[in-house]
Amino acid sequence: MDTNRLTPALPNSPLALAPTQSTAWREEEATHSMRSLAYFVGTFVVALMLGIGSAWYMIERGSPLTTTKVGPWDGWVSEGNPSADPYTRAHVARSGRLPLTSTVARYFVARTDSAGHSLTSECEYLIQGFPLNARWWSLALYDEYGGLVANSSQRYSFNSEEMLRHADGTFRVDLSRNARPENWLPTGATDQHLLLLLRIYDPRETDASGVGLIPDDRLPKIERKACE
Amino acid sequence: MRVRFPGLYIALGLVLAGLIHIVAVLTLPLLAPRNAHARLAALGPANTMIELPPATPGRQVIPMMAPDVRYAFCRFDLANGPVRLNARVADELWLIALYTPEGENFYSVAGADMKRAEIDLVISTADQTVEEAGVDAPESSDDVIVVNSPVTEGIALIRAPLAGPSRADRAQRALGATSCGPYTKSS
Repeated sequence: MDTNRLTPALPNSPLALAPTQSTAWREEEATHSMRSLAYFVGTFVVALMLGIGSAWYMIERGSPLTTTKVGPWDGWVSEGNPSADPYTRAHVARSGRLPLTSTVARYFVARTDSAGHSLTSECEYLIQGFPLNARWWSLALYDEYGGLVANSSQRYSFNSEEMLRHADGTFRVDLSRNARPENWLPTGATDQHLLLLLRIYDPRETDASGVGLIPDDRLPKIERKACE
Repeated sequence: MRVRFPGLYIALGLVLAGLIHIVAVLTLPLLAPRNAHARLAALGPANTMIELPPATPGRQVIPMMAPDVRYAFCRFDLANGPVRLNARVADELWLIALYTPEGENFYSVAGADMKRAEIDLVISTADQTVEEAGVDAPESSDDVIVVNSPVTEGIALIRAPLAGPSRADRAQRALGATSCGPYTKSS
């Protein structure tokens, strides 16, 4: 009984099909299987790109699951934490960094100004900062790959001990090629993209899970002033 | 026969993409040969305190090191018993942190939280007891902090944040006076 049922499905069987039928049937079958194959390969390639692309993006840049975004600042909520989610763990392992767990320190990275434009050494920026409730903090400038920006005054960062502050605890930092009064972070001679890293050790306020809490309005504002 | 259900392909693609996404997230950490442990292993042997050269443009051992923090690390290996880390904490900004090779910070203590100027940290795995390693009387044990490590090999990192650029030399001298080595009765 199985033989009977299978017979029509065997196109090469001389018993089953008349020659005229056979040719038409084979052509249709061929185009169909070619098309199916193309669809399958296409689907697989798209799936591969989507899967790896989304994983890469969520690990490198974060997502609402793992990071808080306040203006230009991105902070990984569970960075360095042994019970962190797989995305955060992958992010830390790939970065090669050794961040303090987020209950001890918070790190915020800005790759853009407050308006969303990429930070670049071709522009000048004014950073307006507000008092941060922590034992020690530091605002450092890097190139887009995390290297320090070469400059003749060897100034790469300002920390809570050396930042010149106003009477109300606010401060301003100029990001520019040429020297500025008060706090000046030189952007160097090379034209390149930049990033700012604000590291805050031992924040005095924490959220319910013990993660250091930095109120949104305390993170610095980055305003683009002029471009070359 | 036409492809009557493009929706079928879309669904198949999404399921596949999801699976690939999950596999990628779980394997990417393993495919990161330049993790912190590998970078530090190039600088010297295990169970020795080594100062990290300060970050300069074009040269830093670990990406995005703080230019205004001085670091010393000990790549601990507990295979032959617990490891002892001794430091005279120079100021309250100091932070001592223990990591797994992948960069998970499983223990940390700040200089400001220590009750004394000198800290003795004994790092051991859960099945090693410090008694086995030859620690003597219990009365001396309150000078010693015993930390259970989830990993046999890991990293102890001391951070000395600088109060100003002029403090760098002093911080480096203080870091140079810290030590790390096998924990024995004589120490």
